[in-house]
Amino acid sequence: MSQVRPIGYKAYSPRPFLKKDREKVEILFGGLSWRAENVLQALFENLGYLARPLPPPTREDLMLGRELADIGQCCPTSFTAGNLANFLRTETDRIGPDAVVENYVYLTAGACGACRFGQYRQSYELALRGLGLDSFRMFLLAQDELDQGEIAGGGIEMNMPLTIGALWAVLCTDVLQSLEYQTRPYEVTKGQTDKVVRESVDFLCDKFRKRPYRGKKLGVLVWHLTTNYFVDALREVFDRFKAIEVDRLQAKPVVKITGEFYIQTVEGAPSYDIHAWLENEGSEVYPAAVATWFDYLFRIRAQAIAEYVGIKPRARIELARIKGLHYLYGWAYNRLRAALRNIPHEMPSQSELRRLAAPYYHHRLQGGEGDMLIGKALWAHLRNKAHMICELSPYGCLPNTMSVGAMAGVLGDHPDLLYAPLEVKGDAEVHALSRCQMVLTEAKKRAKSEFEAALEQSGLTLEMARERLDAMPEMKKATYHVPGHGWVGIGANLVTELARESGR
Amino acid sequence: MWRTWFGTGHSGSARPRSELRVGIPRTLNVWSTHQFWVAFFAALGLQPSRIVFSSNTSEEQGRNFGRGRGTVDCCYPVKCMSGHYGELVFGQKRKVDILFSPMIRSLPSLLSGHVVDLLSCPRVMAGPESTKAGFIREKDAFAEQSIRYVAPLVCLAEPVLVPRQLHESLADVIPGLTYRETRAAVDAGFAALEDFSNAARAQSRDILRQCARKNDPCILVLARPYHMDPGIGHEIEVDLQACGYPVLWTQYLPTDADVMDWLFGEDIRSGDISSPFDISDVWPSSYSSNTNEIIWGAKVGSRIPWVTCVIRLASYECGMDQPTFSPVQKIVESSGTLFFSFQDLDCTKPAGALKIRVETIRHYVGQHGKRIITRKLAGLGKPCPFTV
Repeated sequence: MSQVRPIGYKAYSPRPFLKKDREKVEILFGGLSWRAENVLQALFENLGYLARPLPPPTREDLMLGRELADIGQCCPTSFTAGNLANFLRTETDRIGPDAVVENYVYLTAGACGACRFGQYRQSYELALRGLGLDSFRMFLLAQDELDQGEIAGGGIEMNMPLTIGALWAVLCTDVLQSLEYQTRPYEVTKGQTDKVVRESVDFLCDKFRKRPYRGKKLGVLVWHLTTNYFVDALREVFDRFKAIEVDRLQAKPVVKITGEFYIQTVEGAPSYDIHAWLENEGSEVYPAAVATWFDYLFRIRAQAIAEYVGIKPRARIELARIKGLHYLYGWAYNRLRAALRNIPHEMPSQSELRRLAAPYYHHRLQGGEGDMLIGKALWAHLRNKAHMICELSPYGCLPNTMSVGAMAGVLGDHPDLLYAPLEVKGDAEVHALSRCQMVLTEAKKRAKSEFEAALEQSGLTLEMARERLDAMPEMKKATYHVPGHGWVGIGANLVTELARESGR
Repeated sequence: MWRTWFGTGHSGSARPRSELRVGIPRTLNVWSTHQFWVAFFAALGLQPSRIVFSSNTSEEQGRNFGRGRGTVDCCYPVKCMSGHYGELVFGQKRKVDILFSPMIRSLPSLLSGHVVDLLSCPRVMAGPESTKAGFIREKDAFAEQSIRYVAPLVCLAEPVLVPRQLHESLADVIPGLTYRETRAAVDAGFAALEDFSNAARAQSRDILRQCARKNDPCILVLARPYHMDPGIGHEIEVDLQACGYPVLWTQYLPTDADVMDWLFGEDIRSGDISSPFDISDVWPSSYSSNTNEIIWGAKVGSRIPWVTCVIRLASYECGMDQPTFSPVQKIVESSGTLFFSFQDLDCTKPAGALKIRVETIRHYVGQHGKRIITRKLAGLGKPCPFTV
């Protein structure tokens, strides 16, 4: 007797996306800053794909994500699933459902393991089904593999030219973002920084679109590491910033943003527009670099291998290989940073983050940013990188909650650390921002007293400092690198630098 | 030497092993691994009678020992850890020397080798870190009570790593501990865990044999191991058992080759799956060990004829369970098996509501049980391993 198999349920499996369909099928993607997304679009075009980033996520996306998927899911998934769903719904109204499932595919990062983010294909699937687009094609890519080969039908090749190019796109836009955030709060002409950044992103897009072909394997990596192509591009970006006049002789608190990957990266509705809000409140925002996340991925791979040293043959060799790649990665970042005269923030050393977090959070606890949230908070505090830490913790985020819990121990040992953990639900803005404002008030006081201490120490009054600054127009350009003199705020460091320069 | 002579050190390091008292919070994945820990410490020369587990979770425990210690707002199974820690630190007549709270990164599983990974939930593995924070943020409560706090990170799904992980964390606490004896104790722990699991699986097979003989229905519970805690799972399965239905737990379903072939042989031969423990056809993101077992349990429950009803238990705010709700229900109901879900379980037992739901389940199983068995039996080949 043949069996009647009871399984009527099958996991979502996308129809193949064939190579021959590349010319008519558009790849949708999202989840990063607008700068990175634009440059990634150019990179896709460089490789012969049609691609476009989804529109910036909105509150309406959050609501639709909750409605279509599951209200209990974490806030980033509601935003991303809703963002995709809203776009597809609009397109369905415009061109019809059949055309939508044929004309678009969605590419997103997944497979991150411990955190339930790795299981969210289920939520996307529910959202697609809710829209009546069951046959829409969605592909997940592993975030820690450089060469994943062709995916389902060969329409997308997750090969070295794409992954290495994407990595460089992120690095270039990270250093640009860091320069931008150190410029805008001090710009003399309102809106000038945004204009220059927009032009710079367009320029970088053009460079990525015209990136020369260097094969599909190791040659691509070697070329990216050794070429001046991107360094020169960033130097041109730097020249554009020279036109921006800034007034850094101000006491502004530096607020370091940490938190869950998506919420801390995407500026806009998913993070209550906290970046813009903090700037409007008179702060300098120290944004979270995506580069640090990739740096962490190298570390967790190395940590896993290190456990097998002495147990598994060749583990030591494998560890040396990963550490070598990790070193090259840091070197590549610093090279791009140097093109902007080292004004963009440095990447914190992963070993230091691990060491600082160790008493409170084990380095092998996996999920989300792991021990990095605690490490980064302590690093920024102890190394005078920020007056205050603003940790963006999405509602329902599994690993983030645990870091916030463990921070209670950190605050016991470091009561002077100004820490504002904000639960981000997407629709409880007033509560989160007022909570942030309470800590920000303290940070402002700290920045002010630090600025006054710098004036006192240098024997200058504010008027004298301004006179000296006016006499040195080079120091009023956004491209002037104010050296660190042990203060957190750029204003205080500038005061000391002015005193030092005048004393020469 | 100084510490030993002048008694300024922690008592844990000063006493002979046979006198050490070890306190282990009865929480989270300790529910599925406690056999390992008991055998491990016993093999190291500690008296089993001196291995103290905290009580089952209860609201009183949280009130008496955990109040003011919480640092995190999350699911109750993690949040209640403060009460367990507090009970071991402040609530013992005879003080413990060591509070041992393993951070279990990955779990041994019957699905090992058939899934992507065997990780614990991120909150579960990090639970000890956030709970500890509540006991050190103002002053070190462990040190004040002369208790050594030991929370090793342990990859139980990778047995070769475990001796080193445990030796590094315990060498300073258990006098004269060597790597070699740690390794032997780890082997003893895994052997005890396997013996227990095998015995429990054999018992489940016996239950199914009895059901097959009498053509009686039974109930399968799909839940995480810590839902066995009466304070977390609220003994819902006990109430159902009191109605006369035998209860099986996913983690201890029989896995004998004849049973697996009877249930999954056709799927394997058709190429849908590569083994009876392959869940990639329904759950490709198979990273979480307990989630994987729940999904696999749903597949098994949907096939075994006498499992006429599946009960799903899930705690409030469980982020790992949330994406599985739809697939699990669809898998179970695809064979006509009854499915009831108790979601959002929290600290308070909703006794009245539970009573009504248990009555409902009893009604449906009584009404439809025999018919479901007949239909499910018709869908499976012969011979039936539970009747031969």
